Amino acid sequence: MKRIEVKLSIPVVAPLLDVIRAMAESLKGSLASTVDVESIDEDLRGAWIDDLLAAQNRDLDVLLALFDEDFFREGAILLDEENAEVITRACAAVRLRLRSSQLSGIDDRVMEQGNPALDDLPESSRKALMCYVFLATMQELIIQHLELGDPD
Amino acid sequence: MSLIQAKTEVCPEPQTSTAVAFDVRWHVVVLNDPVNLMSYVVMVFRKVFGFPEVRARKHMLEVHEDGRSIVWTGEREQAEAYAHTLQQWHLMTIVVADEAY
Repeated sequence: MKRIEVKLSIPVVAPLLDVIRAMAESLKGSLASTVDVESIDEDLRGAWIDDLLAAQNRDLDVLLALFDEDFFREGAILLDEENAEVITRACAAVRLRLRSSQLSGIDDRVMEQGNPALDDLPESSRKALMCYVFLATMQELIIQHLELGDPD
Repeated sequence: MSLIQAKTEVCPEPQTSTAVAFDVRWHVVVLNDPVNLMSYVVMVFRKVFGFPEVRARKHMLEVHEDGRSIVWTGEREQAEAYAHTLQQWHLMTIVVADEAY
């Protein structure tokens, strides 16, 4: 089984975990992305959303569990083929929620072009942006090193 | 007087109707969002549909540049299953009947 150990700077990452935890909490009762159920059978809609929400929350639990006592002792997280898929999805959920909440004031084009000027942002948005970039980096690492694109 | 009386009646044409039920095909359509990474979208398409890299990238670019891409077409039940899986990956996905698209 392929695995990668990612060494992280605890002083840099620890403050971002507060943001991730807050976003995970806010995602407990609502989906990260817009889900259009208009075309879905009316009887199925409730179960459809519930199922997505349950899956989203399971993914987020796995992401949060990465940053446990071992992480705070050693500053490393372990990514492997078993947790990679779930963590990549959880990162997407948190990034979507960050974008629609704390980073909603930044223009899409500015976000797509790269780094918005950090100095122009309020402290809370700055931290949110760092978190947004950190989670994207984790996704890139997983996609590149664990060949996640290969079908099962 | 004839012993045999022949009577001719015009039988009405048998009423037949043929109802042809066309199976409506359903599209799974992925919509653009400004958050998910291009590499992530490509990875999801490869993972979910088993697309080769080139095809997955083609659909990702369609989503990015045109705002949407039809990633699969077929029966409704399977289309819904794919849409649900893509939504689990947080891609904005809709299922649309072919006739309405």
